[in-house]
Amino acid sequence: MRDDVGQGKLILPTKIARNAVINIRALLSHPMLTGMSRDQAGIPIPAYFVNDVVITYGGEHVAHFEWSSGISRDPFVGFSLRASKEAPVTITWKDNKGGVYTSSADIKFGA
Amino acid sequence: MRDPLSRRTFLKSSALAVAALAATGTGAVASPLLAGPGNEPGDDVKKVLRERFGARQIREGHITLDIPDVAPDSREVPLLIESDLPMTPDNFVKGIHIVVDHNPDIYLAGFEFTAAIGAATLDTRIKMRRSSQVRIIAETSKGELWTTSRFVYTSLNGCV
Repeated sequence: MRDDVGQGKLILPTKIARNAVINIRALLSHPMLTGMSRDQAGIPIPAYFVNDVVITYGGEHVAHFEWSSGISRDPFVGFSLRASKEAPVTITWKDNKGGVYTSSADIKFGA
Repeated sequence: MRDPLSRRTFLKSSALAVAALAATGTGAVASPLLAGPGNEPGDDVKKVLRERFGARQIREGHITLDIPDVAPDSREVPLLIESDLPMTPDNFVKGIHIVVDHNPDIYLAGFEFTAAIGAATLDTRIKMRRSSQVRIIAETSKGELWTTSRFVYTSLNGCV
């Protein structure tokens, strides 16, 4: 099993203006196994994938993603957010085996 | 007096007409392959849509889907979804849904938004078992459903 599972990143633009709609990119290291493949001995490899993603902004819930194992390995998602305040953005990924992974980044308005 | 060229012109134009007919003839055979199958959903896909959206009408428009026509690696098919639908507190896109007709999980993913997002855009990578119609359905806070679909050809088996 890979040992980097759960390492995540949340990438914000370098310069953010107040009230601008910004693009945020999030990445997580995760195998995203469908449960339909087999190992070399022919034993089915159980499903292991991120199925629930929550995004909060300053503690406020802004988006929620519901996934099947059809999202690619090491899932990547890019989405928009209106930068209405200086506050942290947090992404919480949960997988079907109870793993919970969190990444965070602070929105600050550039001078 | 008859124009000596008229016969030649006639033959030339008729030859062109025959060529054109032949072209449309082969075109008629080849076009379903080139254009991909129609985007009418199969019964299993209709069932998934009915479970999610009930009997509500799903109309085409307001969504753009940027996805390769031919995916070199079907384990990672990039897609970009954009919409010109409003994102105001009283009328916004509350959900974007990805449906892939020939995947084991036909309903691939759902993305639920609030108006704080500011724009209904989405960028991700999906797996595809085989060549299939990829459908995007956007649901507004007023309950309207908008869709677009694209047929994507795949090479490698994508389910790992």
